Amino acid sequence: MSTTIGKTSWADDVDELEHTEYTEPNGVRVIVEFAINDDGKKVKITRKIKRTLQKTVVEHTVAERKKWAKFGAERGKEAGPDRATTTVGENVALKLSAGNKSNEPDPTPEQSLKTELAKAGAGKVICRLCKGDHFTAKCPYKDSLAGLETTDAPPADDHLPSSLADPSTSTGTGGKYVPPSMRTRGPGESMRSGPGGGGPGGNRDDLPTLRVTNISEDTAEPDLRELFGAFGRVARVYVGRDRETGAGKGFAFVSFEERSCAQRAIEKVNGKGYDNLILGVQWSQPRPDGR
Amino acid sequence: MRPILLQGHERSLTQIKFNNEGDLLFSCSKDHIINVWFSHNGERLGTYDGHNGTVWTIDVDSQSKYLISGSADNTLRLWSVSTGKCLFTWEFPTAVKRVHFSDDDEQVVCITEQRMGHQGAIRVFKINRDGDGTNQSPDPLHMFHPIGSKATVCAFSYTPNIIITGHESGKVALFDVSTGNEILNNERAHMDVVTDMQLSVDASYFITSSKDKTARLHDTKTLKVLKTFPTETPLNSAALSPTRPYVLLGGGQEAMQVTTTSLRQGKFETRFWHKVFEEEVGRVKGHFGPINTIAVHPAGTCYASGGEDGFVRVHHFDDTYYRAKPYGDLEIDD
Repeated sequence: MSTTIGKTSWADDVDELEHTEYTEPNGVRVIVEFAINDDGKKVKITRKIKRTLQKTVVEHTVAERKKWAKFGAERGKEAGPDRATTTVGENVALKLSAGNKSNEPDPTPEQSLKTELAKAGAGKVICRLCKGDHFTAKCPYKDSLAGLETTDAPPADDHLPSSLADPSTSTGTGGKYVPPSMRTRGPGESMRSGPGGGGPGGNRDDLPTLRVTNISEDTAEPDLRELFGAFGRVARVYVGRDRETGAGKGFAFVSFEERSCAQRAIEKVNGKGYDNLILGVQWSQPRPDGR
Repeated sequence: MRPILLQGHERSLTQIKFNNEGDLLFSCSKDHIINVWFSHNGERLGTYDGHNGTVWTIDVDSQSKYLISGSADNTLRLWSVSTGKCLFTWEFPTAVKRVHFSDDDEQVVCITEQRMGHQGAIRVFKINRDGDGTNQSPDPLHMFHPIGSKATVCAFSYTPNIIITGHESGKVALFDVSTGNEILNNERAHMDVVTDMQLSVDASYFITSSKDKTARLHDTKTLKVLKTFPTETPLNSAALSPTRPYVLLGGGQEAMQVTTTSLRQGKFETRFWHKVFEEEVGRVKGHFGPINTIAVHPAGTCYASGGEDGFVRVHHFDDTYYRAKPYGDLEIDD
């Protein structure tokens, strides 16, 4: 026997954990326990139990019946509810209100999902395209607004003044290369220096060009083309890359065919999130040395 | 409110009943067992063992001394409520579908099924309350075969010897048990089988539920339909709140169609309807199958529902229930 007493086995460790019980002056019983959780960490468990005695006045016959001995399948069992047969269910709400419930439409799965999301603290469901209270995938303006998740107005490009040349002659992707000398261009256009805080640099086509900063490393040309395509025709996209690794350096140039489209792109995209980063979009400044 | 779940049955519930004071709740199911529970905490007091078939129906007398039960094993049994002992057994050629104690506890009415060449019958037994209750007459006081559609539910009215019956065709009728004559009927009370019938406290009117998706209030004397509560599912049970102007309806998709319908579609909720305005005022969810039977505490403080899922859920109303005024300060007196 003496050998077993002195021996400390792993099974005894649990018993060594502290366990204190005391009663607070206000009658709340406090049980403090320490236990090892599944991760092997020691955790402190404090349980506070407050017992309140509820008294009810019942009829004499009812009080008599409470003293009845249990019978049948319950014969010999102790007083008090048995967990095998009696459990307390989840809280259910009974809201009594006028108005016929049968006329109310059943909540659709989408509606119930929305309420669940709202309950979970995810906030209201707002369409990224039109700001309506539906999922973006369910947006009725999906076809007209898709492609730019951050805009809230349709890219109206019908009534905008055409300040540049015919789009068909530009150097779009997949378009055949046309030497600058062969391109149709308004007189003096190539020399134009854009008003309003720096027009496009004189180095490339004189297209209204935006400088997009703080893009993620793996943003490629097609991504930006898709992002800015919503505002108008994108003539050219250039992503600055490291010469050796090919990874993006965090900036890009996007040339539009129309200045107004570029202007709207600045208004909409500047400061908006893209790939977890907040984009900066400005007019591209021509290099001081004029290159 | 947090309902108390009573898991004393392995099959679907057939009927639940509160005793006169409401402290005991009796439940019977298709698994041959009758349970009795304390309604305030859901503790099981005991079981009444002895039946060999589905127990279709139970009733308890006003003194909570005797319990009567009818079963598909073709017997009607009298039990001692306090000990769970079977005191007497009556045997019939077919199953007993409905029993009801008279208000003076002296008589019991029972309906036996129309089956296997046997006609459906309504019998009234005199209960000998002297002694230990084992000395009962095996012969009925009255017996008759109601003509036409078979009776599914019955209850004593306040007039001696007159019982109210609900029928498979949807008919509601008054019968004189001593002669077996139909005194009055309302053939068009329901369009389908009457599934439950519960009387108001003074028995001047009663509520019936039916598979035709409606529950109706009837005047006991004239059998006129006073109120109609149309729902969207077949109803299995209807109960009257004794203190508030509500009726409780329970039902749901047929048991055999449950597996092919969603929980929401099934409408397995207890519905609260305003008794006078005939409008639904609230719903309580919980059961995973159709609600087969509903009973309201005689004091109106709680209600219990038994479902096809084998659970009994006891709901004690919380403060909001008593404070709720769905129609403003308009109070309805009975």
